[in-house]
Amino acid sequence: MGRLVEHPILDVKSSTSKTHVVFYFEGQPICALPSDTIASALIANGIDIFGFTEHNHARGFFCAIGKCSSCLVEVDGIPNVRSCITPVRDGINVRRQEGRGKPKW
Amino acid sequence: MSEVKGAYNVCIIGGGITGTALAYSLCNLGETSVAVFEKSYLSSGSTGRCGGGIRQQWSTKNNVRLAMRSVELFEHFKEDVGTDIEYYQGGYLMLSYDEEEAKQFEKNVEIQREEGLDVEILTPKQVSERYPYINTEDLVLATFCQKDGHANPHKAVIGYAQAARRMGARIYTHTEVLGIDVQNGKVVGVDTNQGYFKCDAVVNASGPWSKQVSQLVGVDLPTESYRHQIFVTEPLENFFPMMAISFAGNFYMRQAQHGQFIMGQGDKDEKPGINYNVTFKFEKELTVKMVKLFPFLRNLRIMRHWSGMYNMSPDAQPIIGQSNIVNNYFYAVGYSGHGFMVAPAVTEALAELIVLGKTTHTDISYLNVDRFANAEVEKEKNVV
Repeated sequence: MGRLVEHPILDVKSSTSKTHVVFYFEGQPICALPSDTIASALIANGIDIFGFTEHNHARGFFCAIGKCSSCLVEVDGIPNVRSCITPVRDGINVRRQEGRGKPKW
Repeated sequence: MSEVKGAYNVCIIGGGITGTALAYSLCNLGETSVAVFEKSYLSSGSTGRCGGGIRQQWSTKNNVRLAMRSVELFEHFKEDVGTDIEYYQGGYLMLSYDEEEAKQFEKNVEIQREEGLDVEILTPKQVSERYPYINTEDLVLATFCQKDGHANPHKAVIGYAQAARRMGARIYTHTEVLGIDVQNGKVVGVDTNQGYFKCDAVVNASGPWSKQVSQLVGVDLPTESYRHQIFVTEPLENFFPMMAISFAGNFYMRQAQHGQFIMGQGDKDEKPGINYNVTFKFEKELTVKMVKLFPFLRNLRIMRHWSGMYNMSPDAQPIIGQSNIVNNYFYAVGYSGHGFMVAPAVTEALAELIVLGKTTHTDISYLNVDRFANAEVEKEKNVV
């Protein structure tokens, strides 16, 4: 899945920034727009499995508004981060969350 | 008087842990003509709102004995009652941040050990070695009892209710008791919004409403209800087995089987009265305090926040027994925030008192309301 190139209402062309942000997903560099959330950047790069439940079912993008907890990822070791409402930042390390989050102390 | 809808030997007012466990205990002793009246749904009062801790580390001999009997019964809950209530003996870690309180803890441990309870005294260094995720700054001393633990209060109530029903008890939910019929100084029936029920005995197990229900028979009980708040976080992997509690630090916290952290604190400024609202003040105070003591909480979000009532007695110990003013009026109230954990032992004893006229497993005579007639009352010190 890529990004929209045109839209009947939204002005997609002029809102597409020329600058980029690079972060890491499972160690692989991902190129994102500065206005992306982690989830939108992953989807735009063809990644739709964000993690697994404790019963090993794949999880991903669902409600897109921070409610459903389907898109939880680990960001720099911090679990339970809702990728759909968390903006991308340069250099962050995003990993798939498996089951419940691991505590960090 | 409304239409007569039935007749039971024992009518219990309140569908919380006490009401349902008592119905179960009565049935166990062969008394199956039992009805429970609950004005809302089962465990809708204090039981369903509580933290679910079960501990034996008390400051008086009698309370330790009562709690130890309760734990014996909780240990066999699954076989005896037939429900898995997420009972887990992960221990209770009592943290003291106060020199004087620490001395009291050492005295308590002596009493607890005399009763045969296995309790450890831990230095701050030992605590941080065992539990590296706890910040032990300012900690003076901790005590730990592995046999303490926690369970799911909703499941316990449902378990007791189902077992009691199987043995013949009736449970009326959404049935409010409006009056208790007393004739010639003896209880003869209860009037509810679903009709009138004849009975030989009434048990007040109404938790937060104990005082008002007791006024229906004209007996004054020295109880007052105070709001206590709790919140629960999103889940993490299970790694925190025990209930951590502090009286001087004013908090308790445990991790539920599904991974969420449930925690609460008391508020000295709380006014008596039934109030189920929640406050931002509570959230702010508790989050600031707990993140400092348990740094792994820093990145967790609060999922839900609710409140429940402590039905307080003057000495912070339950009021259990039989009225000597009105015949066949029993009460099991004023648990002061620890009703869930002692309910199995209390209701076993109370059922014995009702059916046999005497207790055989645990002595509960020290919990009779008459103790407040004496000027000197030994207050239980171990309460949040």
